[in-house]
Amino acid sequence: MIEFRNVSKVYATGTHALNKASLTIDKGEFVFIVGSSGAGKSTFLKLIMREEIPTSGSIIVNDMQLDKLKRRHVPKLRRTMGIVFQDFRLIDKMTVYDNVAFAMHAVGARGRAIKKRVPYILELVGLEQKADRYPSELSGGEQQRVGLARALVNNPRMIIADEPTGNVDPEMSYEIIELLSEINKRGTTILIVTHQHDLVQSFGRRVITIDKGVVVSDTKDTEQPVAEE
Amino acid sequence: MRSGFGYLVKEGIKSLWNNRMMSIASIGVLISCLLLTGVAELLTINVTHTMDEIGGTNVTRVFFDDEITDRDAVYIIDEIDRMKNVTKTAFVDKNDAIKEYQEKLREDLYEHMLGEGNPFPHAVDVTLRDLGEYDATMADILALDGVDSARDTREIAQRLTNLNELVSTVSLWIVIALVVISVFIISNSIRMTMYSRRFEISIMKSVGATNTFVRIPFVVEGMVIGLISGAISSALVMLVYDAVAKAVRNIVAIDFIPYSQVAWWMTLAFIGAGILIGALGSMVSIGRYLRKEGNELLGW
Repeated sequence: MIEFRNVSKVYATGTHALNKASLTIDKGEFVFIVGSSGAGKSTFLKLIMREEIPTSGSIIVNDMQLDKLKRRHVPKLRRTMGIVFQDFRLIDKMTVYDNVAFAMHAVGARGRAIKKRVPYILELVGLEQKADRYPSELSGGEQQRVGLARALVNNPRMIIADEPTGNVDPEMSYEIIELLSEINKRGTTILIVTHQHDLVQSFGRRVITIDKGVVVSDTKDTEQPVAEE
Repeated sequence: MRSGFGYLVKEGIKSLWNNRMMSIASIGVLISCLLLTGVAELLTINVTHTMDEIGGTNVTRVFFDDEITDRDAVYIIDEIDRMKNVTKTAFVDKNDAIKEYQEKLREDLYEHMLGEGNPFPHAVDVTLRDLGEYDATMADILALDGVDSARDTREIAQRLTNLNELVSTVSLWIVIALVVISVFIISNSIRMTMYSRRFEISIMKSVGATNTFVRIPFVVEGMVIGLISGAISSALVMLVYDAVAKAVRNIVAIDFIPYSQVAWWMTLAFIGAGILIGALGSMVSIGRYLRKEGNELLGW
């Protein structure tokens, strides 16, 4: 769950990246955050991940109040979310398997748990046959699926994808969004940040549009039945 | 956290190998620093040892009054023996003292000096523990009844004390300076590995790795660098020390202590210092990194 209340962010350079933005994303939702470059999307993500703190306003993510969160508790917050990057961020000298296992090692998982969990996740993203390959041997779409597997492996409550289709060809883009939809059906909140308006429209999900640091529109999800009219 | 420790140690050693040129460079620098420190330390040990030796042979001869008999002398010596700074006393019978001159004197003169004509009084050779307290101890001895005078070795005593203090002070500063330099070098080397692994660090941080967890492989790497440097340094010193000691002994009459006498704790000190410096160096740089760049996930 994400809640922004009157959040403003002004950088030391004087840039007003967000201006009194308020929004709520509930548990289990599938949301696109759209905006052209410089609209404040990156700042929005950095605030959610507690890479930055707001200048004013309050932010609650997965039951933690981020504007008051102590630094030493940041890892606890990050373990509730999985992050998918535009440029995949895979480690070249590691195999697909090791790239995914690395995320489990990083949070101190036991070897036995890793051996059990990684193949399961690779199967989920359809890469069980490529576990021993290196990232350079994979297509862009496959690399992004490895990134997704890595984000999923620690069983986060929420997936945050920063332009996940930015470096993938159009056909693969749909496939990746479909995969994220599948994951959403299992109860994981999905947050996709993108500037590709056309891609977003074809899915009929909730779309929050940010422009010049302000939330300018918020359309309802048309795919899922709305509980109360 | 427990479960991942073996993995982290392995990662640290792997990284040491992956960045082997940098590792070798920092091992080299650390060895030089440890060697210089070790040499300074050995020098101090040897100067102290030599001082003790000289202190041991450089006995002060204390002369009694002429009329003091053998029996009086025993009482006076007993009193000197009880003084805190006195380690050893040896009675010098005046009849023995004259015998030292047997060869130097004309025979008739020597004959004359035996017995009643002996110009020497009884004396005692006193060995002091701390030459720094020479003056005070001598004053106490000279104040005793029946003591006449002492052969003054103050100047030598003073010179030795000064030398010992100088060597101790200088080597202490050398050690401090070299430790600082070593920490700096190691921290730079670790910073290089860290930058080469900043990508992995950012991924670790993005999935919620704690700073401690990120830190461990680098600290392991620093400690292994220290361990290797310490082991090599102590081996080098062991190989070279006795040869150097022998060469120096030919020039100056200094009695070096054999290496076997200090080998154990020198080796331990080298390795211990190496590991400590390595750990410290890597903690300095990883701490600084994590406070700044290590915090960025998206922006780098």
